[in-house]
Amino acid sequence: MSEFPGASWLDRYAQRVNADAEMGVIGDWLSTTFTLTFGDARHALVVDKGKIVKIIASPRFDVRAPFGFRAPVEVWRKFLSPNPPPLYHDFFAMLMRVPEFVIEGDSLIAMQNARALHRMMNIMRETGAPNG
Amino acid sequence: MADFEPIVGRYITVDIAGEKHRLFVEEAGQGIPLLCLHTAGNDSRQFRHVMNDKELTDRFRVVAFDMPYHGRSTPPDKWWLKKPRLTTALYMQIIRAVWTALGLDRPIVMGCSMGGAIVLKVAADYQNEIRGIVGLESSAYAPGRYNEFLHHPAIHGGELCASYTYGLNAPTSPEQNRRENWWYYSQSGPGVYQGDVHFYSNDWDAREDIKTIDTTRCKVALLTGEFDYSCTPAMTEQVAASIKGSRYTMMKGMGHFPMIENYPDFRPYLIGALDHVAA
Repeated sequence: MSEFPGASWLDRYAQRVNADAEMGVIGDWLSTTFTLTFGDARHALVVDKGKIVKIIASPRFDVRAPFGFRAPVEVWRKFLSPNPPPLYHDFFAMLMRVPEFVIEGDSLIAMQNARALHRMMNIMRETGAPNG
Repeated sequence: MADFEPIVGRYITVDIAGEKHRLFVEEAGQGIPLLCLHTAGNDSRQFRHVMNDKELTDRFRVVAFDMPYHGRSTPPDKWWLKKPRLTTALYMQIIRAVWTALGLDRPIVMGCSMGGAIVLKVAADYQNEIRGIVGLESSAYAPGRYNEFLHHPAIHGGELCASYTYGLNAPTSPEQNRRENWWYYSQSGPGVYQGDVHFYSNDWDAREDIKTIDTTRCKVALLTGEFDYSCTPAMTEQVAASIKGSRYTMMKGMGHFPMIENYPDFRPYLIGALDHVAA
């Protein structure tokens, strides 16, 4: 049974984000909720001052998430592989060159937090998809 | 005794399109002039490893300069009344002004990214006056990079520009070097990177110009990184296919900033390209 993109993988991801030294430096102003959608599986990540404080699986309509990232599971697997292929090695690369990788919602809020968000996505890559 | 690097920096004032521009120029070495052009929103510090490479500086006078508005160069007078917007024509005038002021005789012109683009036009227009070009991450047409958030009052421009370009490095390049380039990007003035990307992404189209390059007069070497998603290897392959006699090499495990992100791995590629163009 695959761990990714399930709850235990997301918990492990959250632990890495919350322990990350760079997030400790740059995360103070990142307080928001954003969604990650892996194929049909959607999750809302509640972030407070750069720490993931809650992960909501299959969020209902009363969970307010200003932005999010959505892609088919195959795209996420490439991004999270130990040696990602070109164009799948960075979330800005995917936003530009992989049409299936989509930013949803208010991209202004996302880009106001570009550095911390980019770090969070790179930590996701470092977390990998071990059972992929 | 201080352990000085061999790089020497100075300021010159040149006339560009009827305006005086105070520019920062740095150089090292002696021999064939090698004029280096930095990437969008960055400055000549990207070439510090090239200028500190004794094997190269024994053969080449390596010169790099900060474009107007960039690094230690000053914007022109009344800069506050216009948006920084680089164009193909202006870029060519800037390069020509520096090259003339420094008296570079039949230089090799090397540029990366937007610099790697414009060297194609330099080769097309000045093929009788230069030895050749080394194009790093060269494309004749490169739409897709421009966006309004690169200069937006609600966004930290330095952090967005630096983060936006960070992923252009190969994931395997040393972290310290990728972060050094991140730092240079974060130091760009407001709107300068966007103005450069406007040139690169919206104004630039040399697909017809490059067909006129005669490589028996002006040698062409092209190097592009495997992980470059701004100018992909396929885009440079198209350039190479349009220039008969050009030399193209795809650099394994390299991104968009070879001279700064991973100089040790870039070096053999660079020496091969320079050997070809200087021959």
